[in-house]
Amino acid sequence: MKPPLLDAKATWVSREIKFPHQLFRARFSPDGRAIAAGGQDKLVHLWDIRQEEPAHRSLGAHETWLSSLAFHPTAPHLFTADYQGVIHCWNYLDENSTKPIWTIPSADHDNVRSLVVTPDGKHLISAGDDAIIKFWRTDSGKELARLEGHHDCIFSLAISPGGKHLVSGDLLGTIRQWNLAGGSKFVRALDASLLHTRGEQFLADVGGVRSLAFNPEGTLLAAGGMKDAKSNAFCPGKPTVLVFDWLNGKVRSELRIKGKSDGPFNSLCFLSNGALAGHTEMLHTNSELVFWKIDQPDPLHSLVNPSAYELSLHPDGRQLLAACYLSGGSSGNGARKRDREKYIPNGSILRIFSLYKQPKET
Amino acid sequence: MPRPGSTSCQSPCHALSRRRVLGLLGGSSGFGSLLQPAIAREIAKKERQVCLIWLDGGISQFESWHPLPGSQFAGPFRNIPTSIPGIHFSELLPHTARIAHKISVIRSMCTKDPNHSTGVPRIQRGDPIDRGVDYPYLGSAVAKLLGPANSELPPYVWIKPGNGGFIAREAGFLGAEYGALALGDGKAPIHIHRPESISAQQDEARQILRERANQRFRSYRRASEIDAYETSYRVARQLMARKDIFDDNRIDPGDRERYGTHPLGRHILRARDLLESGVRFVKVNSYHWDTHGDNFNMSQRLIPQIDQPFAALIDDLDERGMLDHVLVVLMSEFGRTPVINSRLGRDHWPDCWSLALAGCGIKRGAIVGNSDRDGVFVDGTGYDIGDLFHTIFSVLGIDPRRKKYRHKGQKLAIAHDECGPIREIMT
Repeated sequence: MKPPLLDAKATWVSREIKFPHQLFRARFSPDGRAIAAGGQDKLVHLWDIRQEEPAHRSLGAHETWLSSLAFHPTAPHLFTADYQGVIHCWNYLDENSTKPIWTIPSADHDNVRSLVVTPDGKHLISAGDDAIIKFWRTDSGKELARLEGHHDCIFSLAISPGGKHLVSGDLLGTIRQWNLAGGSKFVRALDASLLHTRGEQFLADVGGVRSLAFNPEGTLLAAGGMKDAKSNAFCPGKPTVLVFDWLNGKVRSELRIKGKSDGPFNSLCFLSNGALAGHTEMLHTNSELVFWKIDQPDPLHSLVNPSAYELSLHPDGRQLLAACYLSGGSSGNGARKRDREKYIPNGSILRIFSLYKQPKET
Repeated sequence: MPRPGSTSCQSPCHALSRRRVLGLLGGSSGFGSLLQPAIAREIAKKERQVCLIWLDGGISQFESWHPLPGSQFAGPFRNIPTSIPGIHFSELLPHTARIAHKISVIRSMCTKDPNHSTGVPRIQRGDPIDRGVDYPYLGSAVAKLLGPANSELPPYVWIKPGNGGFIAREAGFLGAEYGALALGDGKAPIHIHRPESISAQQDEARQILRERANQRFRSYRRASEIDAYETSYRVARQLMARKDIFDDNRIDPGDRERYGTHPLGRHILRARDLLESGVRFVKVNSYHWDTHGDNFNMSQRLIPQIDQPFAALIDDLDERGMLDHVLVVLMSEFGRTPVINSRLGRDHWPDCWSLALAGCGIKRGAIVGNSDRDGVFVDGTGYDIGDLFHTIFSVLGIDPRRKKYRHKGQKLAIAHDECGPIREIMT
């Protein structure tokens, strides 16, 4: 059967999985049959989404919140990282396997904020608070190399299509390009400092390059975050994406939203038709899933949706997974009467968006 | 009343203090940041002082004093052992964890107001029973109840980011005399130096003329306005005589490093110098702790900025023999919610939060109060801000049950009538 035509404007929610704790990361497996997610409850969650009622199981070894995850492109391996610098490798397809295959106990002195795997599956690359990019063998977790040059924590990593280049984005708005093929050398820096704010009275730097994504042709690099942060307390800013022309490293367009979201773009995905998808955060109210044609600053389309922290494109290119916030009803300032009876955490919805026209029910 | 800057105060304790200080100073060119521990001890013997460090907006108890690793609301940071066996703080407080045996922590504060606009004044006034008057903030209250510790210096100095000036409103019904001298960015008020073109005699003559004009003006104006004006002038003149305190060249580079070069580090170091010089009450404000958004990234950046100078201050006061006489209070208007919101922040939470105290009359190494397993509500006795005010006044030697303000013929309690001191943390 011919696959439905990709059409961001026709996007609809085709599936939801509710979860009682906040999930900050969620991704489709390379075969599209599973979702892996993690967050506040320290467990790695796996859903087999082949059935109508997805089968769920969880894996425990992390001792703190999960901060990043990545799948091996061909082997049944899932890599998960946490806020205390630990990386585990799991066999996610073997239901009898409940312990990590290997563990890196100290991949970073604190938070491992981003993980990527090279397309050939040989190297896992991590980066985070110590501002050092580290290369690990995917089969053993043995460290292979380090790249230094960032001056503050690294939020995001991405590998160019074909695997020639690695890019890394940091808190201060610097993107560094590294040549993966020729001995992992620094190539150039791209200026995304618009995504960083340090006001005169701020106690801390705010923002950073929270997300990076290449288009399928490798001609464009999108960097997500927010600009013009107003304080280091609420950290409200204007969600912004900078699209770089990869050839000359110049900003080709600055993409914005039309809604009122006040948090950064933590995740970006290019679709096969060249459109770009991103998701923002918003304090105590809905946020939005946004689509652009990259040469038009205003969105092509947007959907009201709770805040989301990660987007993942299904291998079929027609479904988008978002790890979304779900209010447990206890948010806001101070306790209410009913809180005395039951004060519950906020949760998550894993929401799958289908990026084509919804079929008519028969 | 003695002239500001003169040494003619008749108070025996002040006379002794100054003579001893001058004697101990010997040939040194002044004190201030280089005040010797021996001199500090002399001052400390005589007077009880307070340093209130105010983290405006609300520090998260989970990311600081009460990390609760077993809670479903715990943050992502590690817990680290402190110098008190069995007690852990967040890993974001490594310096304070080292000196935990010198401080007390209350983990069961339970206050009433979840809003900044009403909560800050309510907390800093001690939330007394409403008797239709504008109660003073703690600094003004202490300035009134104990008076200046050193007649050459204002009793209440407020170090804050941004602009300085004389802030009369904190004094409430006590009147402008008990307001705060605010030092913007911890710096001396501008124009503290007498211009070289004006001689000391000319300056004195101008002062007399100004006072006479005020006297005349006072005869047909509301006194409080003139009080505020005169007080600010008097305070400025006091400081003109003590500009040595603000000489940054005197700061030991090692101290700068220990306290940190960020605003809180510089301001708490300045507070130490002011306490050493004899200011009765020093408040240090830091703003932007209201982490509704990105709480965990911000806590990672903000909490070390209080950890380092707070621990350094406690160490220095202890080393100088002042910790038994100087009360240090580190607090906010409330804590932060257990639940984590849509922007990965924590909102306002007065129902169960933590604060730290040290020094004058406070036990060393007492960790008081607890929460339920998840850190949502207090388990056992919760303490309101009125209880904290009773505690503060009690350790300063002021009996909050007996001592009353008098305002327009009315006797007013200095702290909430229905609260009492927190005995568990008092020596």
